[in-house]
Amino acid sequence: MRGLWAMIGNDLRQRIRDKSVLIFSLVVPLALMGVLNLSFGGFDSGSVELKPAIVVASSEDSGQLGTALLDAVDSLPIMDVTVRKVPAADVGRETRDTRADLGIILPADFTAGVVSGRAVSVQVVEGDSAGVETNVLISVVDGLLEQFVAGTVTAGAGEMAGLPHEVLGGLAQQAAAGNPALTLTEGQSSAEQLSLKGTLVAGQAGLFLLFTVGFGVLGLLAEREEGTLARLQSTPVAPGTIITAKALVGFILGVVATTILLTAGSLLFGVSFGSPAVVGLLVLAVAAAATSLTFIVARLVHSAEQANIAQSILGMVLGIAGGAFFPIEASGFLATLMDLNPVAAFIRGLGITAGGGGLPDVAIPLAIMLGFAAVATLASRLVPDRGARP
Amino acid sequence: MTTEIQTRKARVLGVEGLIKRFGEHTVVDGVSFHIEAGETYGLLGPNGAGKTTIISMVAGLIPADQGSIELAGFAMTPTTTKAKAHIGLVPQELAIYPCLSARENLLFFGRLQGLSGQDLKKRTGEVLDLLGLGDRAREQTKKFSGGMKRRLNIGIGLLHRPTLLILDEPTVGVDPQSRNSILESVEGLATEGMAVLYTTHYMEEAERLCDRIAIIDEGRIQAEGTRNQLVELTGGVDRIELRGSGNTTATATALRQLPGVQHVDGGGSGLTLTVLNGPGLLAPIVAEAGRMGMTLTSVEIVRPDLESVFLHLTGKALRD
Repeated sequence: MRGLWAMIGNDLRQRIRDKSVLIFSLVVPLALMGVLNLSFGGFDSGSVELKPAIVVASSEDSGQLGTALLDAVDSLPIMDVTVRKVPAADVGRETRDTRADLGIILPADFTAGVVSGRAVSVQVVEGDSAGVETNVLISVVDGLLEQFVAGTVTAGAGEMAGLPHEVLGGLAQQAAAGNPALTLTEGQSSAEQLSLKGTLVAGQAGLFLLFTVGFGVLGLLAEREEGTLARLQSTPVAPGTIITAKALVGFILGVVATTILLTAGSLLFGVSFGSPAVVGLLVLAVAAAATSLTFIVARLVHSAEQANIAQSILGMVLGIAGGAFFPIEASGFLATLMDLNPVAAFIRGLGITAGGGGLPDVAIPLAIMLGFAAVATLASRLVPDRGARP
Repeated sequence: MTTEIQTRKARVLGVEGLIKRFGEHTVVDGVSFHIEAGETYGLLGPNGAGKTTIISMVAGLIPADQGSIELAGFAMTPTTTKAKAHIGLVPQELAIYPCLSARENLLFFGRLQGLSGQDLKKRTGEVLDLLGLGDRAREQTKKFSGGMKRRLNIGIGLLHRPTLLILDEPTVGVDPQSRNSILESVEGLATEGMAVLYTTHYMEEAERLCDRIAIIDEGRIQAEGTRNQLVELTGGVDRIELRGSGNTTATATALRQLPGVQHVDGGGSGLTLTVLNGPGLLAPIVAEAGRMGMTLTSVEIVRPDLESVFLHLTGKALRD
């Protein structure tokens, strides 16, 4: 055992001293997290910050619906909107000159037309600086028009049913102004979905873990090339000590780096992954799975250079397929195969813990990762050894 | 009876009928030898002769296909630990960690060899002083010169005072000054009672260091003994070195016809002849070379040495 600890301590000292682990396992993934969050983090659900918008609108409609529409736009709860009323002929020019986000031209007979069921045309003018805010405003106007049409349809249906006109008017107003009977709420399926920022942090941590563990077992190849492997093998340490030490070094580096990445990611990007204890178990399991993969690589390659290439390819494939950059969807056998990806299981597990899940809830992702570790370790014994292992 | 027991006790390494094959190629073919305490034993042969493969089996790095290795009374295999506790290996390639200091390298390998505590620290200090690296002990070895690295490479091997120190061509690629320093260090080891197994393809090193030498070629020991015993095998032949230009191939063919000339080897810028009574044959040899159009720039008679022995035994020169 003393030889084992000496080897582990020696390897860790070297990895820290040559800064390779620091760069490839912490600096690069953190930088990538930052870049990805800057690029995509703004699209996270509920996190889009809409800028104040200006709407230039005509108000020649004498009915209630025109006023109701503009009031609704003016009082949107999701963004600060200022509606400036101008004559219809000036809407286009004003929108352009004042760099407004949207222009709306309501015809003078807007209310009458909607109530009578006639075709009514509402014109919108996009501002030169149209952005997300303009799209949101157009969607809102479109939604309001749909609601008004619903009122018209209601009135039409009532008329066909023989209802008196005074009742029909009330019904139409109610349908046009009321809340929809059915609402669509976007939620999280079984609380397994991380926010986009959370997915990026978890994904990058999972992806770079596959590179980090390579500093362990694959270090055997570097030892062989540097000549130190022969010297290690000539010392009176128990058989299997060298490979065990290398595997443990990879595992330890993987656990530490992933823990730091998740912690730093949480602090920097405001993500919470839930129970630290359960997250810790997920980290241990995914590090075991990633380490087991290096056993196979170590048996298949001839040199440290080949090992790095093979590990990079495996890391990228498993990372991307696991959803390190964006969610991947598949069906059938492919979906099952992707579910067995330890990176995917890790991200899924973190989604569950982020949603408040405990140990029983992450049993399946844990089982997938530990199962992967067991199968890969076993498979490495069956793969023909091409000379890397002692 | 008493004498026999004492001899057996003094035996450190016993190798019997060692065979190693890589695919169809037999690289070590029935090698047997032994080394006693305080003895420096040399394996002398050209590159590819099988020296490093023998060393690898003796150090327990690779298994032998046939034969046995007994070290300090324990059978040596890649999985044994008892026998390995008695060896110190100095591989041909530098086997040190560049990111670690000389002291850290020694401490690490010392721990693997079972040293610990004050014993380890004390011994590390002693070896650093022995290597002349005491004042740079805390520097990372990547800043060391080639000679310093070579010295540390040897120091790691003898840190734990092994029963058998295995040195695999320790002077390859070393400048003359460092080489001499290494040879002096090895000479000192035998006086401390350490057995040394030394491989080289430099005849001078084998002659200077080794009590007994095995001449090895194509995986077989061609001859074994002390330097004088080996030289006697040549039957007292001399070597004549001819240097110059001209048609050396035709000259070699002509010289082989002269009485007393046993071997002619070489080409290009020179020829090496193995002859009986070199001084007596010198004149006709020079005359024949001149007749064949070879312009000589130097002629040298070399009295029998290990090079001559190798030439005598294998019919070819011992060269890099």
